[in-house]
Amino acid sequence: MLNFEEDPHLADLLPSEQRERLCRLLGELGGGAVAVSEQARTDAEPLELNLETLGWLYGDLSPQRRQAAARLLEAILLQVAKYRLAANLHHDTTEASYAELQSRNRALLASRMRYKALAEQLQARVKAQVSLVEQAQRQLYESARLRAVGQLAAGVAHEINNPLGFISSNLRVAADYLNELAAKLRGDPLAGQLLEDFRALLEESLDGSQRIARIVADLKTFANIDQADFVPCDLNALLTSTCHLLRAENPRAHNLQLELGELPRLAGYPAKLSQAFYNVLDNAAKALGENGQIRVSSRNTGEALEICIEDNGCGIADAIKTQVFDPFFTTRDVGAGSGLGLCVARDILAAHQGEILLDSQVGRGTRVTLRFAPH
Amino acid sequence: MADYLANERKLSLKVVYYGPALSGKTTNLMQLHNLLDPQRKGELMVLETRDDRTLFFDLLPIGLRSRSGLDLRLKLYTVPGQVQHDSTRKAVLSRADGVIFIADSQLNQQDNNATAFDNLTDNLQKLGMDIEQLPLVVQFNKRDLPDAIDEATLQARWAATPWAPIALASALHGHGVVESFRQLLARLYPALDREFALAAEHGVDAPAFIRLLGAAHEAPHA
Repeated sequence: MLNFEEDPHLADLLPSEQRERLCRLLGELGGGAVAVSEQARTDAEPLELNLETLGWLYGDLSPQRRQAAARLLEAILLQVAKYRLAANLHHDTTEASYAELQSRNRALLASRMRYKALAEQLQARVKAQVSLVEQAQRQLYESARLRAVGQLAAGVAHEINNPLGFISSNLRVAADYLNELAAKLRGDPLAGQLLEDFRALLEESLDGSQRIARIVADLKTFANIDQADFVPCDLNALLTSTCHLLRAENPRAHNLQLELGELPRLAGYPAKLSQAFYNVLDNAAKALGENGQIRVSSRNTGEALEICIEDNGCGIADAIKTQVFDPFFTTRDVGAGSGLGLCVARDILAAHQGEILLDSQVGRGTRVTLRFAPH
Repeated sequence: MADYLANERKLSLKVVYYGPALSGKTTNLMQLHNLLDPQRKGELMVLETRDDRTLFFDLLPIGLRSRSGLDLRLKLYTVPGQVQHDSTRKAVLSRADGVIFIADSQLNQQDNNATAFDNLTDNLQKLGMDIEQLPLVVQFNKRDLPDAIDEATLQARWAATPWAPIALASALHGHGVVESFRQLLARLYPALDREFALAAEHGVDAPAFIRLLGAAHEAPHA
């Protein structure tokens, strides 16, 4: 870069056009011809600016007039140089300021990009935290609900078991008494008929009380409130008792086929696994129409333990398939479904290193596969 | 930064008058132009603007020719003191061989002196120069004003710096201006002699250097 204080040459200060004009004017003033040369001459007057000889003025003037012309030209050159110096300095400082502005701009841009990246990172972290909080909330909600249901079930089961015990035992004693009565009343055809009927009634009642006992036992398995820790679970047993409960609760689910293969025990939370099975089964039952069927199968593929729950119900539309696992998504009426069923099932499977797969066609039915990696 | 053109045997040097606004930098240069009688002296170029405030700089070229044919030029510049002209100040300061810092002696101007001196240090650093290495004279101007800080205090304050003793001046009346300049010439010479062998090759020793560039007119000043 040219420094503003570099000594100028004559041509820098006076372009040839102006030089000729000035010489002509000086010549007219002095009454002779005047010329300026950048080469040194003996018959010439030097033109000085800032101690620098810029050129030589010569011509057919008297020495005195030549000197006067040279001083006049020097005075003009000084003014031109003054302007030129100021202009050059201004140019230099402007360029320096501009360069500084540019570098500051670059720094600002870089810091803006840094902040942008930081903001994006923050946003991603906030999103991750929010989803973590949502999941925790869901689990809390479900586990609280599960505990409440479990406690209630256990309480009811306990309360029912006692009277059920003496009802069953009384019914059996009543049957014995019936046998004794029959012996005493032998020969009376009307009494024989009545006793026959009585026996059938007692058997039905006994059958009924046994069914109640089974349901109570299933409830206790389902609730499993005593087992909060990972324990070896028999998936088939959990599945069977959950199916019993579903049948008892939903009349449409009476046509339910169980095809259970042999499975190794799986370490897990039995109550939560039952809950996952129940949620999927409940969906299947609610999707069924007339003549609906549910097929529950389990098998060990060697790579995974698979539980397959198929129904021939209404199916899931493609448009909402991606949403069915979202929390609080439901197609049912307000109050009829929390929208948490599949979501919770998926969370429970994830807690057992498992996955849940969905395959559905509208009008044909849905197949949900729950897959666990064996330990 | 001294600039030597071997084919012309021309050595160009630059001395900058630095300091706060209105401390008397231009006045120093004008008085030097009047009082100084160096071997060669050019025209004083004053580029002031409204209110006689310096906008770009002032320039006084002086010089000497040694018998060996060395053409030594010394350009004396002032910078604009006003805070807003910092980029101009920096451009003028660049490549300086020496600096004369003109401080204001008035008590209420000491903050401005400090700010300007910090600015000098700052700009030197930005230009890649070290203030400890640079020939520098500190002149406290306006000694004639009634509220000027007394000399003993000032000398004591600056005693521990590399620039002691400080120079005192009343530039408006021409006092101390030439003396400050000579002090700078004395501090400038050793580095120049080291680099360009002024004494050995050109026969210009320190007293000659100061005499040829720092001579004053015989007539007493106003």
